[in-house]
Amino acid sequence: MMETIMELKDVWKIYRMGEVEVPALRGVSVKIKKGDFVAIIGASGSGKSTMMNLIGCLDIPSRGSLYLKSQDISRLGESDLASLRGKTIGFIFQQYNLIQSMSAFENVMLPLEFLEYEDRKAANRTREILALVGLSDKMHHRPTQLSGGQQQRVSIARSLVSDPEIILADEPTGALDSVTGREVLEMLHSLWKKHGKTIIMVTHDLNLAKYASTTIELKDGEILKISKIRGIGE
Amino acid sequence: MKLNKCFKHAFNMVLHSKLRSWLTITGIVIGVAAVIAIVSIGDGMQQSLNAQLNALGGDIVTISPGFERGGGMFGMRGGGGGSSGPQATTKEIVLGRSDLQALKGLPDIALIDTNIRGSVDISYLGKTGKVSVTGVDQGVWSQITTSKIKTGRMLDSADQNVIVIGGRLASSYFDQPVGINKMITINGSAFRVVGILDDQSNSVYMPIQMAYQMIPDKTNDIYYTLVVKIRDENQLDEVITKIENKLMTARHVTTKSKDFSVSSRKEMQQARADTMNSMNTFLLAIAAVSLIVGSIGIANTMFTSVLEKTKEIGIMKAIGARNHDILLIFLFNAAFIGLVGGIIGIMLGTLLSGFMPALMGGLPMARGTAIVTLNSIFMALSVSVTVGILAGIIPAYQASKLKPVDALRYE
Repeated sequence: MMETIMELKDVWKIYRMGEVEVPALRGVSVKIKKGDFVAIIGASGSGKSTMMNLIGCLDIPSRGSLYLKSQDISRLGESDLASLRGKTIGFIFQQYNLIQSMSAFENVMLPLEFLEYEDRKAANRTREILALVGLSDKMHHRPTQLSGGQQQRVSIARSLVSDPEIILADEPTGALDSVTGREVLEMLHSLWKKHGKTIIMVTHDLNLAKYASTTIELKDGEILKISKIRGIGE
Repeated sequence: MKLNKCFKHAFNMVLHSKLRSWLTITGIVIGVAAVIAIVSIGDGMQQSLNAQLNALGGDIVTISPGFERGGGMFGMRGGGGGSSGPQATTKEIVLGRSDLQALKGLPDIALIDTNIRGSVDISYLGKTGKVSVTGVDQGVWSQITTSKIKTGRMLDSADQNVIVIGGRLASSYFDQPVGINKMITINGSAFRVVGILDDQSNSVYMPIQMAYQMIPDKTNDIYYTLVVKIRDENQLDEVITKIENKLMTARHVTTKSKDFSVSSRKEMQQARADTMNSMNTFLLAIAAVSLIVGSIGIANTMFTSVLEKTKEIGIMKAIGARNHDILLIFLFNAAFIGLVGGIIGIMLGTLLSGFMPALMGGLPMARGTAIVTLNSIFMALSVSVTVGILAGIIPAYQASKLKPVDALRYE
């Protein structure tokens, strides 16, 4: 039996729009097992981005509890959340979210600087990860000097550099052409398979969900269905 | 994040917004340069003032009959400047032997020079004129006077028919220059010149006993002024009080009926120093205003920078930056702007302070040389960095408090 790495218990997220309260998530409860490849799917406005923010510890629930490795993160302060994110979660964003003034190398090394790694160790680890994503020859390029696919690979490298247990990918192929998108997904799949990472991917594309082993389907802020599937790689 | 990394990121931020950073830095440069220039000119004036004070003899006190101060002050300047002498409120008021004796009883006094002054006819090689002669106690005069000898020597206690003359009298008063050992006729008597002073005066100094004979209407043991050298310059105020008390007792007068005045050159210099300090404070206030304007520039730049970098702040927070990491990066950014502004400001201020005394040449107080001290450099740097940090605190705090989820959404 796989251990639970993340659990949402009756989680609500309510946004205030002036006088009106808009619930984005309504009493969501789900357990995510360690080593699972989970795809959170749903139409626009279904609450998948809100759910990703909560799972990624970027936000805290309005009500309910959110456990990351048995720790209730809904009670943590911003700095503790930041430390937790830095150690446990690697983010891959749709728009890559690289810092434009930094080279690929600097972007990838940044999480290690926040974790106060020793310089040489951080540099070696950064080179190793950039080699893993096939960008050894582009490490001193700025994001503007890289293609979309290359930028996303830098983003993947950055998410992996601190060796987090969870990789959180928000529409990772959303800004890429189909061929490059497939490459990125295969890379994610390989991370899951070969490195045993827990991958949580948010997407609206049902074709991408085929790579996952579990799909969580959201609709109007509620879980419509949780399915165990035999993904493409299995 | 380690401090050096925060500094590196702050430095990168400055590098990547060159124009805006430099414009902000310019604001600080102007403020710091103004402070440095003003402080260094102030220091220079202070030093020049101190030098003047020492040269004039801060340990010299002049006692004059009458209660109007100032008259006695001119006695020590070699009789130049056409001074009219002490202005006694009553004709009978004089300084005499009993006053001298009273002062000799004060242990704080090192030397007392008694002198008289008057106008005499003078002639040299057929050219005649009228000059002021000062009769001095030749035994102590050389030790009290601040005049310097250019050629020859000062008066000696054994001297009788000899004089020391001012530089202008020797060089250009007569048709021909007067040299050492030349004979000058004063009121019909011949005097040998033994010394020429290093000044531009027409003064003549001779032993007081000779002066009593040469200057009409002078009575022995009645003095024009008593010039006193005190033992400890730092005790000046106390000694002046003691002199006043002693003389009031000796002359049987009270504070209200006081008939003599005691003055020191320090008082005059102090008044000058006070004026200078007020002027410095005023100029510093103007410089401070420009620094404040500069700091508002930093705050403005930092606020813009926080807005511009909201997304980056979100990214950094998402990948593990804590609030204080972001706070430090932005504070270092502001401090860095302050530091660079401070360094360039110091250089510009130093350059300016070199020109300022020349520009202010018309003002008597600006005749010093500007001095840029380590102290003022340290002060300017600390002020500029502090100003930078203070101006950066609110924007940096604002940046650190951004919610990652909101910051990431910012476009």
